[in-house]
Amino acid sequence: MTTEPGAAEDVLTALADPTRRLILERLSRRGDATATVLAEELPVSRQAVVKHLAVLDHAGLVTARRDGRERRYQVRPDRLAATARWMNEVAAQWSSRLSVIKRLAETDVPGTPEPRSHVGQGEPTE
Amino acid sequence: MSQDRIEQEIVIDASPERVWAVLTEPEHVGQWFGQGKPAPIDLRPGGVMHLDHGEHGEFPTVIVDVDPPRAFSYRWASGYPGETATETNSTLVEFTLAAEGAGTRLKVVESGFTTRTNPADPSPDASYESHTTGWTGVLAELKKRSEKLAA
Repeated sequence: MTTEPGAAEDVLTALADPTRRLILERLSRRGDATATVLAEELPVSRQAVVKHLAVLDHAGLVTARRDGRERRYQVRPDRLAATARWMNEVAAQWSSRLSVIKRLAETDVPGTPEPRSHVGQGEPTE
Repeated sequence: MSQDRIEQEIVIDASPERVWAVLTEPEHVGQWFGQGKPAPIDLRPGGVMHLDHGEHGEFPTVIVDVDPPRAFSYRWASGYPGETATETNSTLVEFTLAAEGAGTRLKVVESGFTTRTNPADPSPDASYESHTTGWTGVLAELKKRSEKLAA
């Protein structure tokens, strides 16, 4: 399974805000909660919590279901897990690019001064 | 936002000058960051380096810093093939080179995955930062959990 970079960016952008991380943390601890309950626990207004939940919802990080007059939210871990995998893939790509840079830099190049490493001529230089 | 980054490094048995050449010369860039053909580079801050990523498209990256043989950075709109990198559509890729013994320690940092503008975003509450886990911590935690689930 791969994650579209755009989807991963939505997740990372959603996670960039400390209040939203706090909301995710509270939701994951409680299992689920309404905006009203979250606002009572956090130093922000209910209105702000609702906006933050909308961003989290858009990024696929929470789901909501109706509960009477309110909506109860809970964490959706799959999108977060996919983003973590995507970040690991990006890191792995850099790792492989660095390996190519290393190989290129350590390879002898015609027309450049004699490098430290040797080209195999049948005689080890060590 | 400082944790919004990917870092990798490698030690290379070649001088910083040599590594710098591989990092910035068109024929080498085409090898490590393209399809093999030389990558056109206007090597100056604000200059464009054209990266050909084959089926993924072409990426006109914008060079930010050129400080031979110590630092090289550019903006890369990896999510937007064909578009010139700007502050809002791209990540920042920073290479730093440091002499280590007879070789070079080369570090790369890609950052800015979260700087894309989000119109639905309420104003940030930066003052609560110190009380919360950074998102990399959140990701690490969830990765652990998801690996447990997958096992």
